[in-house]
Amino acid sequence: MTTSHRVMNVHGVISTDDIIPARYKHMYTKPEELAPHVFEHRFPGMAGEFRQGDTLVSDSITGIGSSREQAVSALLGCGVTVVIAPKFGRIFYRNCWNLGLPALEMDTRELGAAEKLEVSLEAGVVSTGSIELAFTPVPQLMVDMVRAGGMLSFVLAGGGPVSAANKGMRA
Amino acid sequence: MARHAFPLVNRIIAEHAGRESVETGELLFADVDRVYVQDGNSPTIARLYREHGLDSVFDPDRVAFVFDHSVLVPNRDMADRIGEAERFARNLGVRVYGRGAGISHLVAMEEGWFVPGDLVLGSDSHTCVGGARQSLALGMGATDIAAAMATGRTWLKVPETVWLRVSGTPHPALRPKDVLLEVLRRFGSETFLYRSVQWTGSWAESLSEDSAGSVASMGVEMGAKCVFLPPRPRSSEGLRSTEAGTDDLVYDLDVSELMPMVALPHSPSDTVPVDRLAGKRVDYVFIGTCTNGRLEDIAEAARVVRGREIDPTVHFVVTPGSRDTYLDAVAAGHVDTLVRAGALVTPPGCGACVGTQGSVPETGSTVLTTMNRNFKGRMGNGGADIYLSSPLVAASAALVGHFPDGEELRL
Repeated sequence: MTTSHRVMNVHGVISTDDIIPARYKHMYTKPEELAPHVFEHRFPGMAGEFRQGDTLVSDSITGIGSSREQAVSALLGCGVTVVIAPKFGRIFYRNCWNLGLPALEMDTRELGAAEKLEVSLEAGVVSTGSIELAFTPVPQLMVDMVRAGGMLSFVLAGGGPVSAANKGMRA
Repeated sequence: MARHAFPLVNRIIAEHAGRESVETGELLFADVDRVYVQDGNSPTIARLYREHGLDSVFDPDRVAFVFDHSVLVPNRDMADRIGEAERFARNLGVRVYGRGAGISHLVAMEEGWFVPGDLVLGSDSHTCVGGARQSLALGMGATDIAAAMATGRTWLKVPETVWLRVSGTPHPALRPKDVLLEVLRRFGSETFLYRSVQWTGSWAESLSEDSAGSVASMGVEMGAKCVFLPPRPRSSEGLRSTEAGTDDLVYDLDVSELMPMVALPHSPSDTVPVDRLAGKRVDYVFIGTCTNGRLEDIAEAARVVRGREIDPTVHFVVTPGSRDTYLDAVAAGHVDTLVRAGALVTPPGCGACVGTQGSVPETGSTVLTTMNRNFKGRMGNGGADIYLSSPLVAASAALVGHFPDGEELRL
């Protein structure tokens, strides 16, 4: 399946503190409450510019620092449906896939100038209309989690490559 | 290949996935030993439990809720969230460490939750502290934690292991924090990204328990998935570092030439020797956190200011990391010393680190702190400039009201 997305660019190393300041995660649990505060300190005013279906394209390592999953739910609350960056912080990357937000790892130098991108998770390519670029292949487990509506729904339904197989094997 | 030749992270993941061995890059499910949650994520975890119709945990004795980020709750919204989270935790029957018990990672250390070779998950990125006791200790987000609480399992990718060999004789003013800031300056945040870092070398092996925890805490700033410090010198238990093979990546650092460092706003990796800033005005000094809120750190701050008064224009806040640390600091006279010198000693917890309780810095002010991060807005005000240092540098600055030069560092 191919999806089409408007491009929203951000520049420089992005921490999860940049995406959503810590105090809001202590105040709110819902994406729509968090969304107005996205990039509040780092890129003031940007939160109001997002539209449903946007892709966030970063030119540097994205999502370093705090484990806050609210960085992902806040972006989802803004309407972001794909994040593309050359590198990701480990926990942010997990959180993206766990919440059903595809995080694609690739060189973004040729993507930033595009207005729209077409993304095919299955084929592993992003197209700007003029060029097609491949991203680091996504393990099937991740795709399955997104399809299941996120990690929690997936594991509670018994999903997982060795589900139950290794239960009880440890003393 | 003999089993012992596998890096620590491979061994631990294999044991928890019921496998003989695992390969770098493999994605698999593993059984977790313990899961702990901090108050910033517990409201979201409570919501996820509600939405998915969950009402129990895999083992109530192996799940803990710690209330550390909002100890003195500053507003109504947070008070409501914390209240919900406390009721949620008590209904689950899990262990609850209430406000004032301390920072989750220090509580976990004190309560023996980091057993060598165990797999421990925490809903906070600084869970990597557990690497000081050779636990595979991983920080994760609310959904991962909720899933692990419910099922006792998690999915993991086996990271590549690299070795960081640190040796040499440190200058008397050099502290573990300075070494970390130099590591971040030299290697940036991508060298160790998604890797397991095994600290080795004479410097790493000689660290005290408190220092090992401090070093481990900044594994996430290095971008690592996990870190492993060597066992303490006289410790009978613990996992020794495995040897690097000839094809493995080994990074070397000699601490002999290093001097005290400071991280500039707004990145922990943007570091310079403190000399570079000598004389620059400091408005607010904060000592504490899971990186430098242990007894060793409080003792150093007290030693620096003993018998003196700080610059009266400096706001000086000291937050012991845990109740045990606080009590030990009281018993040793450190709290008395600090308060007499002009410090504000607050209840244990995360303190001013995240802007979820006081003290929030003034707009345009310069903050020097022993925190591990200084991202813009970190302490609750994007208009403040936050610098990071060791407790020695920070306490010395509180005395003189500016970044200290070599003479002003009180050894």
